[in-house]
Amino acid sequence: MSIQGILFIDVLGVGFILLILNLVRTKRLHIAYATIWFLAVVGLMMMVSIPPVLAILPRMMGAIYPASAVSLLAFVFIFLVLIFFSMQLTAISARQVEIIQALALRELLAQDTDLQDLRIKLAGAKESENPANPLSQP
Amino acid sequence: MDQSVIIVIPAHNEEHTVTAVIHELRRVAPTVDRVIVNDCSSDATGEILDALGEKQLKLIHNLGYGQALQTGLKYALLKGYDVIVTMDADGQHRPQDVPPLLAALQESGADMVIGSRFCNGQTYDTPMDRRLGQLLFSYLTQVLLGQRIYDTSSGFKAIRTTACQAIVSGSFMDFHIESIVQLKLAGFQIVETPVKVQERTHGRSMHSIASVFQYPIKTILLTLAAIMDAYLVKRQHGR
Repeated sequence: MSIQGILFIDVLGVGFILLILNLVRTKRLHIAYATIWFLAVVGLMMMVSIPPVLAILPRMMGAIYPASAVSLLAFVFIFLVLIFFSMQLTAISARQVEIIQALALRELLAQDTDLQDLRIKLAGAKESENPANPLSQP
Repeated sequence: MDQSVIIVIPAHNEEHTVTAVIHELRRVAPTVDRVIVNDCSSDATGEILDALGEKQLKLIHNLGYGQALQTGLKYALLKGYDVIVTMDADGQHRPQDVPPLLAALQESGADMVIGSRFCNGQTYDTPMDRRLGQLLFSYLTQVLLGQRIYDTSSGFKAIRTTACQAIVSGSFMDFHIESIVQLKLAGFQIVETPVKVQERTHGRSMHSIASVFQYPIKTILLTLAAIMDAYLVKRQHGR
């Protein structure tokens, strides 16, 4: 890769790192996700900036050009990150469903308990009104 | 039936049909408890149910058929019922078929009875795409389970709580073929009994053009996941 290419990616990488830091600082990006992006950017910068790595990588992956190897790695990374975020979304929506269901269940179960309490109170009131009832005798 | 029974009815915008369904259920199954899962209806369904004095599980966000039904099943399990009947609020399932469904459950000794539109040579007029899907899934049960279930997408079922416990925790279930496969592979017995289904008179069917493609793929994925799950559980117990 040419010096200009390496410099371009490194400058872009530093820009991304600053963006990530700013997003963390302003609490718009969770530190767990920031770590993933930080590692990816640093990994890419190291890959293109260290000549032996850039020479070995395409050979290991069967690519002719270093740029192809980097693109393939980037594609794999994006694919994995998308699956990871789909899993995160699934977990969040599952939690949301659980909360909605729990709210509905709680409300009805509380109504059931109130109704049961009312029935017990009514039965108690009836018993005290009619003490001659043999069923109310101990 | 000497066991405690509850009818679980998911409902979403069913103001035109829910009253008739409830009145009919009160007439034909007066001793059976009911709970209606109001899946965030935007019409008067909730008010009608309140006025009728019906037990309602009020979902504050629309969860869709499967998860609304799941809420009702969870309620039934929490309250300790022995048998759960599931039916729709759109008037397609006839309340008078509830007692025969329960009788079939008792007589067969099965864990789940499906109110079927297609068993015993019955026919039901459905659009071609849906009929093809139903046939495909029906034959799939024959191949996978060795027992042909003619109506895999029926929402009219009677299920014992022992079987219900095995499927209620599923996250993305529609309680169709995937739950049938899961139950059969777990050793539960399933039978079908013929029921008549009425044409929908009001409201909109949940089947859209997108669902023609989405439903079969989703169902196949869920079925494969159920098979994989059963295999892994079996292997775990085998160790």
